[in-house]
Amino acid sequence: MSSTATRPDTSYFLRKLHSFTGVLPVGAFLAEHFWSNSAALVNAAKYDEVSRDLQTIPFRPFVEWGVIFLPMLFHGVYGVYIWLRGKSNVSAYPWVGNWLYATQRHTGLIAFAYIGWHLYTERWLTHGKSTYATVESDMQNPWYLLFFVVGILASSFHLGVGIWNFLCKWGLVATAKAQQAAGRLGVVVGVVFSIVGILIVISFRLNWHPFASYYISK
Amino acid sequence: MAETKQVIIRVKRQAGPKEPARWEDFSLKWRPSMNAIICLRDIAENPVTRDGKKTTPITYDSNCLEEICGSCAMLINGKARMACSALVDHLEQPIRLEPMSKFPLVRDLAVDRQFMFESLKRVKAWIPIDGTYDLGEGPRVSPEVQEKGYPLSNCITCGNCLEVCPQVNEHNQFVGAAIISQVRLFNMHPTGAMNKRERLEALMGPGGIQECANAQNCVHACPKGIPLTESIAEVNRDAWKQALLGWLLG
Repeated sequence: MSSTATRPDTSYFLRKLHSFTGVLPVGAFLAEHFWSNSAALVNAAKYDEVSRDLQTIPFRPFVEWGVIFLPMLFHGVYGVYIWLRGKSNVSAYPWVGNWLYATQRHTGLIAFAYIGWHLYTERWLTHGKSTYATVESDMQNPWYLLFFVVGILASSFHLGVGIWNFLCKWGLVATAKAQQAAGRLGVVVGVVFSIVGILIVISFRLNWHPFASYYISK
Repeated sequence: MAETKQVIIRVKRQAGPKEPARWEDFSLKWRPSMNAIICLRDIAENPVTRDGKKTTPITYDSNCLEEICGSCAMLINGKARMACSALVDHLEQPIRLEPMSKFPLVRDLAVDRQFMFESLKRVKAWIPIDGTYDLGEGPRVSPEVQEKGYPLSNCITCGNCLEVCPQVNEHNQFVGAAIISQVRLFNMHPTGAMNKRERLEALMGPGGIQECANAQNCVHACPKGIPLTESIAEVNRDAWKQALLGWLLG
């Protein structure tokens, strides 16, 4: 910091952008993604209908790059930069917040690596036209399955903690009581996303469709 | 009759910032209500190590001995705290004393916390009351603001919040929780609020409030129980409103 008052630094805006993109659009996209993929819990036909609707949206490349790929890439790359500027000290100070600080960095990296691989296998290799059948066949590979589970848990955890961080860092929850409540909200988000994500994986792996009776063919 | 109880102290010694560090052990006679500073005084009276070697008194900062001056913060058994309130009877032995790691070392346990005082100057952590003429009385401070401000005014600039913060390190010039909390204190005062914008702008420069990553160690380590995380959240809110909405709303 300079000795006189200055205009906000670029790092200030980049930090705020990093924090914001984590919730919007990245977090929101994760919610949308889990919601759409939950169609597998109805049946394969419903899943393919939902996929087709998403795969045929207008302006698709612009939406994919502008709303999904670029924000994620920025959030991930700048997140790694933030990690490198911190120096974790959980062993000396094992408080909960400090654990979350450290875990947030590790889960972020796992999620980033997982999402890169996930995009490659389910978006790139399928030319953006993946179907229930392609995902199902991928899920038969035990290593794929394991990576899916790890990636889902890391992403869900990262989003839950991220929402807590976001609410604190933008001053939307300030008092200790409000921050505790925000923490509980983060736990609920993390747990719900984990459960839904794992249910989707089970659905593909075991051809399990608990909501099959909902289906009305087009 | 039982042998007199002994207190074993391990002190990290270093003659200067560029000198090599070494550990020295001391065995002291136990006394009731002994604290870490008493131990250092006893060593100064008789600077002989546990194995009988003569050495020099240990350099350390301390003054008030009642958690008011903020000068005796150090690492005690690996944790940042005030030496004056670290009671020997509550500590595991041997008691390890080390200088704080986030500030430049002067000698032994004494560190230079100038960084914090410079940061306080950068954010104008004061209320300007002097002019070239009599400025008269300022506005009254409501009891509500007084009540919120009092705990914040207890900050003793000890540096424990910086020491425990993972974001304060050699890669990063983060000013730390104490300074952000002082910005909140002075911005909350009706006269101090006249410099609110300048303080927030200073806190959005390099090493400013954006470096906080919400590990929240500061609030646990603060010996004065200052609601530091609440201060950071509030100042964060004021800062982004000014930076991101200032051009829009004025």
